[in-house]
Amino acid sequence: MIRDYASVAWQTLAANRLRSFLMILGLVAGVAAIVSIQVAAAGMASAVTGLLAGMNTTAVYLFPSERQPDLERALLHERDVALLRSLPDVAAAMPFFEESSYVRAGHHNVLLSVGGASEVRFDTSPLMYGRRLDPADVRGARSVCVLSAHARERLFPNDPDPVGRSVRIGDRRFIVVGVLGKARIGGIIPTTNILVSDVAIPYTTFRDDFARGQPIFAIQIFPVPGVTPERLGREATQALGAAHGGAHYEVFDLQSVIKTIDGFFFVVGALVTALGAISLVVAGIGIMSIMLVSILQRTREIGIRKAVGARRLQILVQFLVEAFVISLIGCSVGLVIGLAVGWATDTLLISRLSGVVAPVPWLQTSALAVGFAAMVAVVFGTYPAYRAARLDPIEALRYE
Amino acid sequence: MNESLPVLRMEGITKIYRLGAVEVPALRGIDLRISRGEYVAIMGPSGSGKSTLMHLLGCLDRPTSGRYVLDGTDVSTLSDDRLAAIRLRKLGFIFQGFNLLPRMDALENVALPLFYAGLSRRDRLRRAETALQDVGLGERLHHRPSELSGGQQQRVAIARALVNDPAVILADEPTGNLDSTTSEEILALLDELHASGRTIVLVTHDETVALRARRTIRLRDGLVVSDTSERLPERQTSHGTVRNPASFIE
Repeated sequence: MIRDYASVAWQTLAANRLRSFLMILGLVAGVAAIVSIQVAAAGMASAVTGLLAGMNTTAVYLFPSERQPDLERALLHERDVALLRSLPDVAAAMPFFEESSYVRAGHHNVLLSVGGASEVRFDTSPLMYGRRLDPADVRGARSVCVLSAHARERLFPNDPDPVGRSVRIGDRRFIVVGVLGKARIGGIIPTTNILVSDVAIPYTTFRDDFARGQPIFAIQIFPVPGVTPERLGREATQALGAAHGGAHYEVFDLQSVIKTIDGFFFVVGALVTALGAISLVVAGIGIMSIMLVSILQRTREIGIRKAVGARRLQILVQFLVEAFVISLIGCSVGLVIGLAVGWATDTLLISRLSGVVAPVPWLQTSALAVGFAAMVAVVFGTYPAYRAARLDPIEALRYE
Repeated sequence: MNESLPVLRMEGITKIYRLGAVEVPALRGIDLRISRGEYVAIMGPSGSGKSTLMHLLGCLDRPTSGRYVLDGTDVSTLSDDRLAAIRLRKLGFIFQGFNLLPRMDALENVALPLFYAGLSRRDRLRRAETALQDVGLGERLHHRPSELSGGQQQRVAIARALVNDPAVILADEPTGNLDSTTSEEILALLDELHASGRTIVLVTHDETVALRARRTIRLRDGLVVSDTSERLPERQTSHGTVRNPASFIE
């Protein structure tokens, strides 16, 4: 039965092409705007999460606040690392060391980031050769290192597997125990460098060899499962403040950064969606007025249908289905345009910058189009359809 | 079914239109009985109330007072939707202006009432095709109204009126838009329908059209002024003298 209504609706719309075209124009624009921004925003969001997916995002960094009367009092030392490690919510704590330094291997002398690390992993880069750092390396402050893919390329361009060979950092010699592969992300923005060092050595070794006697710039801590970075940061700053006579500490954690970025994209997306929604309302009003005119033109047809026995509901359904079909066409065209624009933005811009290819949410957006169509049809089609349904058959038949 | 029972019975039907504060009586007390298989013409000058009577007979409107029983159902006070259901099952309309839907072909036009009756598409088209063959348009199934002559369009309309097997066929000036040759064809078709047992009520102002009917009801100022139903037996016995029906009323 609904197929019959739909085919009648299709015939009517096909017979009035210009009118139908005008009816869908606003819908196309509105839906295209909403869908394209949704797709682009989803791409942005997945680019951000993709960039950070290579990292351990639960890490919390603590460092003395610059603006306090007695900065000296607030400086961090080895005993503070031990203090934080003793907190019940802290799973691991270690000083954060990182420096740019010339690293030598044979006749290659390359400026790379050298970082103190432990067995705690920060990234998802796959291990290509050898092993990662282990607790024994940290305990024994061994002179070993794990090279990133970038460091390996620069230091050992002809040897994909330099495990067992050595590099020199300053006047110290380090044995290569492992080589990492490329993370599966990385576009134009150099992502691998953000929190993962090119050359990772045990942080104990870093402290002994390069930072002896100096205050610690920052402490990294990791929460036990179930504890949020925010809570951990709060507890840690309190503990440090108490130990340093009321000194102030800053907290940096990746998840708050991610949240801020997500929040930004959400606001942008919501704004454009709101604009699109306004254009949908305008389009809906257009559809309503064109339908009212069309019903006036088709008064006689309605009269004939009623004379041969159509009930009110049957007339109502006919016009509602017509509104739905036109909305569905408009929303589908808008959807295709929106997906194309959003997809182009994702691939040509976002993916190129971030290296993350965002999945296009086909199913979601299709459901969205049908949903919009139904909504527009019901909200703006009901009144004209109701007007048609309650026409007096005698008046309608007399109408010229 | 009992042939002697009236298929259509009106008792004391009035219809009053309100134009602002003024009440305009269009029908002022109509009593009418039409038996199954009758062919009745309703005549009257404009303003006599014949259109109003036609609308009431066709269940397109409700009387202000009185009782109207159609094929065993009292339809005087039914709701709009119930009236639509009555039109769907018991009535077939033939209009002066054909009133076909221009975007549908002949077959779809004829099938329209069956759509509202809830038949499947296959059944609808099969029955519509039979109805079109019955009116001699078996070769024009897929022509649109604009591709058919006036007479052919009216045949399509007649097929549409017949397709739901109605108790009564109402024809409102069915030849008003046709030339005399085509009119004759349509009237011959109505004669055939009458001969096959259909009940036909025809509204016309054309005496020659009215003569085709076996009975003529004349209206004036919202009242029945003459009804030849009583003369029928007399015409068979005497020499066809037409007596003033008023003389029967005394």
